[in-house]
Amino acid sequence: MLFNGFLYAWSEAMKGLYRNRWLSIACVGVVVVTLLMLGTFMMVSLNIDFITDTVKEQVEIVVYVDEAATLSERDELRALLTANEDLSEVRFVAREEALRRLQLQLGDLLEGYDLEAENPLRDSYEIRTALPESVSTVARDLEGYPAVGSVFYGQGVVENLFTVTKVLQSVGLLLMAGLALTAVFLIAHTIKLTVFIRSDEIMIMKYVGATNWFIRWPFILEGLTLGLLGAVLPLAGLYFIYSAAVEWVVSNNLLFLSLLPMPVTMLVLAKYLVPLGTGLGVLGSAFSMGRFLRV
Amino acid sequence: MIEAVQLYKRYDKASPYILDDLNFTIERGEFVFVIGQSGAGKSTLLKLLIREIVPSKGTLKIFGQDLTQMPQRRVPFLRRNIGMVFQDFRLLENRTAFDNVAFALQVTGASELEVKRRVPYVLELVGLAAKANCRVCDLSGGEQQRIGLARAIANRPAIIVADEPTGNLDPATSLDIMNLLRGINVRGTTVLVATHDREIVDRLQKRVICLEHGRIYSDQSKGVYARAL
Repeated sequence: MLFNGFLYAWSEAMKGLYRNRWLSIACVGVVVVTLLMLGTFMMVSLNIDFITDTVKEQVEIVVYVDEAATLSERDELRALLTANEDLSEVRFVAREEALRRLQLQLGDLLEGYDLEAENPLRDSYEIRTALPESVSTVARDLEGYPAVGSVFYGQGVVENLFTVTKVLQSVGLLLMAGLALTAVFLIAHTIKLTVFIRSDEIMIMKYVGATNWFIRWPFILEGLTLGLLGAVLPLAGLYFIYSAAVEWVVSNNLLFLSLLPMPVTMLVLAKYLVPLGTGLGVLGSAFSMGRFLRV
Repeated sequence: MIEAVQLYKRYDKASPYILDDLNFTIERGEFVFVIGQSGAGKSTLLKLLIREIVPSKGTLKIFGQDLTQMPQRRVPFLRRNIGMVFQDFRLLENRTAFDNVAFALQVTGASELEVKRRVPYVLELVGLAAKANCRVCDLSGGEQQRIGLARAIANRPAIIVADEPTGNLDPATSLDIMNLLRGINVRGTTVLVATHDREIVDRLQKRVICLEHGRIYSDQSKGVYARAL
């Protein structure tokens, strides 16, 4: 009985969509355009977040070991750094390795200097913090550790970088919230309009003795279908837009623009757009019928 | 079957009563005309009968159930026992005659077999079997009202309530519709018709309840229009 009821509601929903096909197409069109705009902005925002996170993660602290430090002081420093839970990565760079890197970087410019006989560089630790934002606090703490000669983390530049990324992320979030609200408003009102246009039909159903749920189900299923279509179509569009963007980045050798991988992006977009589209379709239909059912 | 005791209705507390102390009983199988000038309360009475609105005071019983006490969830089941016919037909315009009648059965959970058996039968009763697959918007006013009538009787209701069923029709078609209603009544269905149609009332010579300013002005068992007013 329940299954038959569902089948009836489903077949009525499909018939309803077909009978009012122009209205359905217009409704899906509004949902598609709105979610496409929202999805595009989400895609951009997600990648800005990803790029800023990547940049932030590359910020590191270099702790130079005091040349005058004793072996036990050096051992103590190593033990303290390894045990520090605020640090996600601690890498010891011996002065010989530091010299090799310098020679690689400067090449011919160092010709004529016998640096291996008299290496001017110091042993150091390259450190990454668990929270990139805590880099300046952690750096200040490290200055008090034994055997530490000096600490460098790009003072001034890092603070500015974090301020810029924070502003970018906040503005993105704000714009996205605004766009999402607009989408909710537009879609809900379009669905409401489709129900309003068919208010006579609802009234007739009431007069012949249909229960409220008997009337609601086909409309809810119609709303669900319209919402789902309205969410899946922009996802397909966004897939092609993103593929083109990734291809453009690769073909122009803009590899410093580290974009999110395609499956991750599409998954995140689907996670938000599909429930938003279908949810609005279902809730929009259910709520906008309320006053027509009071007959 | 229908019993009104000290029945009052007004739409808000500041306005006067549209129906003012109505008392009447309609027995099973009766054919009753409700007449009166515009604003006399005819349509309000019919709306009360299908529980579209609730009385302000008094009792209105149908099938022994007091509509003032009826919970909202029971209303659809009441309406399945009352066939409604409207002046403006209220059909689903873009669907066929068959679909419009079938619809009244489907809402009650009737099986597809039952729908396929019953719909052609009622369309035959109203003389529209040949137009079962025509869309409503392609049919004449008289044919549309016949479909309205077929829809009203599809569920074998105990009562038919018709609000100005001939208001939009020419005299000949009006008489056809009234003859159909009379035929339905002969089969045992109680019929209540609100109308302005003097000729029809006089020709059928049925019970006539005349309303004036919301009160029963006269109630004649074999009434005619002029004598009732």
